[in-house]
Amino acid sequence: MKFTLIYPKWTKLRGQTEFHLPPHGPVVFAATLPRDIEITFIDENLETIDFNDQADLIGISMMLTSQVKRGWEIADEYRKRGVPVICGGIATMLHAEETSHHADAVFLGEAEGRMEQVLDDFRNNRLRKIYDYLTDFPPIGSVGIARRDILKRQLYNYRGIQMVDLFHASRGCRFDCYPCCVSYLGGRKFRPRPFEKVVEELAAIDNNRLYIVDNSLSQDRAWEKQLFAEMIPLKKKWCCHPIDDDDEILDLAAQAGAWFVYQAIFDISDFIRNRVKRYHDYGIGVEGTILLGLDHHTEDFILRLIDFLLEIELDLAEFTVLTPFPHTQAFADLHGEGRIFSYDWNDYTCDKVVFQPKQMNPERLQDLYDEAWRTFYREKSQPYRMFELFQKVIDKEMADGSYRSQQRAQTNRKFGRAKQ
Amino acid sequence: MIEDLILKLKQEIIDQLQLEGMTPEEMDPEAPLFGEEGLGLDSIDVLELVVLLDKNYGIKIRGPKEGPKIFYSIKTIAEYILNQQKN
Repeated sequence: MKFTLIYPKWTKLRGQTEFHLPPHGPVVFAATLPRDIEITFIDENLETIDFNDQADLIGISMMLTSQVKRGWEIADEYRKRGVPVICGGIATMLHAEETSHHADAVFLGEAEGRMEQVLDDFRNNRLRKIYDYLTDFPPIGSVGIARRDILKRQLYNYRGIQMVDLFHASRGCRFDCYPCCVSYLGGRKFRPRPFEKVVEELAAIDNNRLYIVDNSLSQDRAWEKQLFAEMIPLKKKWCCHPIDDDDEILDLAAQAGAWFVYQAIFDISDFIRNRVKRYHDYGIGVEGTILLGLDHHTEDFILRLIDFLLEIELDLAEFTVLTPFPHTQAFADLHGEGRIFSYDWNDYTCDKVVFQPKQMNPERLQDLYDEAWRTFYREKSQPYRMFELFQKVIDKEMADGSYRSQQRAQTNRKFGRAKQ
Repeated sequence: MIEDLILKLKQEIIDQLQLEGMTPEEMDPEAPLFGEEGLGLDSIDVLELVVLLDKNYGIKIRGPKEGPKIFYSIKTIAEYILNQQKN
């Protein structure tokens, strides 16, 4: 059976250097398919879809709200040609009802242990409109090694530098942050994968540089310590979401190859200043993620926040505007108050104001967003800061002998901005 | 003297960074290296420039605070090389 799995394109964050990482959802999903299924994977951010290619079934994997409209277009196109379509992934879960109008079947939830049944239904012409496993999580031990073999790896190479591979060591998140939909998607119960599976998968990845995509590693201190201890012999270098502020944990993380952390910078405080310093003390870089447009954000606060970011010597900063994704508290509040003025999901790219901010008009917030990028990168440009962070990982690799030189054959390969 | 060095640097940058189709004459020595209004170099190019300075001039750049000023334009790189050679 020929199964074509498609990852629809979307518009990348304005202001940020364009890069393309090998997607994680599709390769984790592919591991749930029986081995005799012939999978073709297309990442539309980097490839063009040939709608006339022969396939028995199309799978559309969507992670972001800004992918769904394109995903629906693709689904409509295939169904016009008589090829059935099943949709899944995080954004399908957030937009289930709308997606069901464009697909033969919609899969909600985690797919481990469920695809044999879905494929059996497909073969027997009894595909169900909705497979709803949203709150019925499979045993975490059933998560298999992601099928990175379906990726065309050369596409994720920028001038001879292989982009990081994505990996997850756990699911679920004990936090329930205001703008985040993770608790709706993966539940608030932290579900760590067994260590032997984590190590087996990490060791099998043919890439020394990784992005550990778990929502936060700061879930359970004992788990965090053991995770890092298990990772030390693998000599991987990685970025991740927050790590607990604890001497032993930070030391283990550094030994295990922590390269840089994405850390939310949500206020101007000694807590944040110290948090960033502590990572730096352990040789771990910090990319601040800064969300603008919360109800208490005045113009003055945003301007002071930008100055503060420069003061605390963040390595990189990524600015986004509050975006009310469905199934978040932010959506419930702003929708309930009638403050959302765009429900065009293509606008939900995190760089466009789609709601009425409390403290200013939308145009002013949009201007402040652009100003934040400009000001932060004025003295030290984005390429230079990225170079410095890149130099950090090279230094770490040189130190433990894990450095692999650039692939010279690929030095001319650059990413192009995908046409919309 | 700096003019000669700038001319030499331009060719070295074209070679090291593999800027195919670009000629030294097209490169404004005072234009910013980064950003759309300048040469549009990226982070990997900075890495290549660091290699170039080490290989061709014996100058090691290891994340000094003045890094962004050195790598502002071809002219500022040339000035830095001359300063280093004086010292």
